[in-house]
Amino acid sequence: MNTEVSILSNPIILIAKKEIMDCIRNFWIITITAIFVLLTLIESYFGSVFSTGWHDFGATISFMMLSVEWIVPILAFMLGYAAIIGEIERGSMSALLSMPINRVEIVFGKFLGLGGVLSLSILLGFGFAGAIIGIMIPNANYGEYLSFILSTVLYGLVYLSVAIFFSTLFKKRATALGGAIFLWFFFNMILPLVLLGIAVAGKALPDIINGNVPDWYYVLQLINPTSVYSALVSLNVGLELMETVGEYPTFYTTELLVTVLIIWITVFLILTFWRFRRKDI
Amino acid sequence: MKYEGREILSEYAIKVEGLSKTYGSVKAIQDVTFTVKNGEIFGFLGPNGAGKTTTIKSMLGLIHPDNGNILINGYDAIKHGKKAKEYVGYLPEKVAFYDNLTAYQNLCFYADMKQVPREICKPLLREFGLADAINKKVGGFSKGMKQRLGMARAVLGNPSILILDEPSHGLDPRGAALIRKKILQMRDEGTTVFVSSHILGEVQAICDRVAIINKGIIVVEDSIENLGSKLRLKPRLIIELETEATNFVETVREIAGVEKVIAHGKILEIVCNPEAKAEVVLKIGGMGEKIINIITEEPSLEDVFLKYTEE
Repeated sequence: MNTEVSILSNPIILIAKKEIMDCIRNFWIITITAIFVLLTLIESYFGSVFSTGWHDFGATISFMMLSVEWIVPILAFMLGYAAIIGEIERGSMSALLSMPINRVEIVFGKFLGLGGVLSLSILLGFGFAGAIIGIMIPNANYGEYLSFILSTVLYGLVYLSVAIFFSTLFKKRATALGGAIFLWFFFNMILPLVLLGIAVAGKALPDIINGNVPDWYYVLQLINPTSVYSALVSLNVGLELMETVGEYPTFYTTELLVTVLIIWITVFLILTFWRFRRKDI
Repeated sequence: MKYEGREILSEYAIKVEGLSKTYGSVKAIQDVTFTVKNGEIFGFLGPNGAGKTTTIKSMLGLIHPDNGNILINGYDAIKHGKKAKEYVGYLPEKVAFYDNLTAYQNLCFYADMKQVPREICKPLLREFGLADAINKKVGGFSKGMKQRLGMARAVLGNPSILILDEPSHGLDPRGAALIRKKILQMRDEGTTVFVSSHILGEVQAICDRVAIINKGIIVVEDSIENLGSKLRLKPRLIIELETEATNFVETVREIAGVEKVIAHGKILEIVCNPEAKAEVVLKIGGMGEKIINIITEEPSLEDVFLKYTEE
């Protein structure tokens, strides 16, 4: 038997393939792609308050960073929150588990498939919009734009792994959705406030406002995936129009930030498996 | 191919020992032990809530028992579940599919999982009377159609062992007959069938041996004939007479070996030892009565079941 066939008949690949096919059938991929295309084009053309017309990639990214920061987690949650609990609630998990498969393979298959859907939508959506912008402006810096797309993929995968973990945490799909919404608020609203609170307590607030952010505050911000993503994009894309709060410290390297995001993904996948392994169906 | 089909690797198809599972403070099953021999149809009987599904789910790794061992075709189903499941086809109690996919797409997904060629999916759907629904989404299926599709999924790739949880649930008589026929056919081809039910008629018609579970405890495991004789269950003699049956009740009751006599209209129903049957008929004939018909009913599984599960 040749190896090509045996890889395609691996249960992880089969589950991933099914998730991707589902998201093609229910127009998920095409919808998310369209959202990203529209967002990018609108921000690039209308994003500046000073001038309309096409802007280069650096400016476009800085216009749309805030929107991307909250839209990507929402899409990841919508994709992943029902991954495990949905099948349990529907009843199809019994049959799936009766196949020659391990539970860890189900978790990986789901992550690979849904991660594929999210990555594909990000690549297609931003890629298509990028191609249009590239035609409209001279001397486009594709390298910068590509690093933005790849950072966004990684950022999306972090929230996807969190969402899949949540889908093993609750007994009902509705509670998992509630939990995911709470988590989104937590990372995007509560955690930044908590970090700010710590800054106030550490008497660092005046420094931060003046642009002299102490190093320990940067270390603290590594626990917020959104800050890490934002820093990763800022480091690799010339965001001349973005209001940056001072320079990032020298230990904020691309390698460190990428590693932090990968650790997030790994930790939540392990937690997912740990929860799912014990679950009675 | 990796899928090995009906490969027999162990003396017993299924061996369950000392299985226990507690939910909170409720003991769902306690010390459940039984063995299913290769090539037999094994009935797993019990009232609703007796622990049938808990036992079956443990065998497939869906739930984690607190104690006990499960061997499926010689493989430890708890430690090496993936390997053990290669030999099993399973029909769950609550049959469910991916509602957004068609019957054919659903079956193909499971065929891929079992590494069975997709070409068998369409013939299988036709065999289970779903020819018109092959390209219809399962979301619109009736309970009976889902049950048929569930059966098609269970027999994918001719597994060595079929585990069926209430297979006739939600089926019309024709569907139930279809599934019964398939079970017998697969047994004849060498498949071991483990079938749970609370409907005794269907089990009695096809099972070689049964285990009865009540309140989480196995109360008996044996062949149906042995169960009848162990309990000294007696056959029932039904005699149709020309005149009122009440006239004969007293006389028949006095015959040695007769346990119970009931008259309704012109029918006399007698529970007695097999040896007393001839004596009963002779006595009635001797009284000058014309006997129109005689039927003998062997002790039914229902009698056994009621005896074992009564309070």
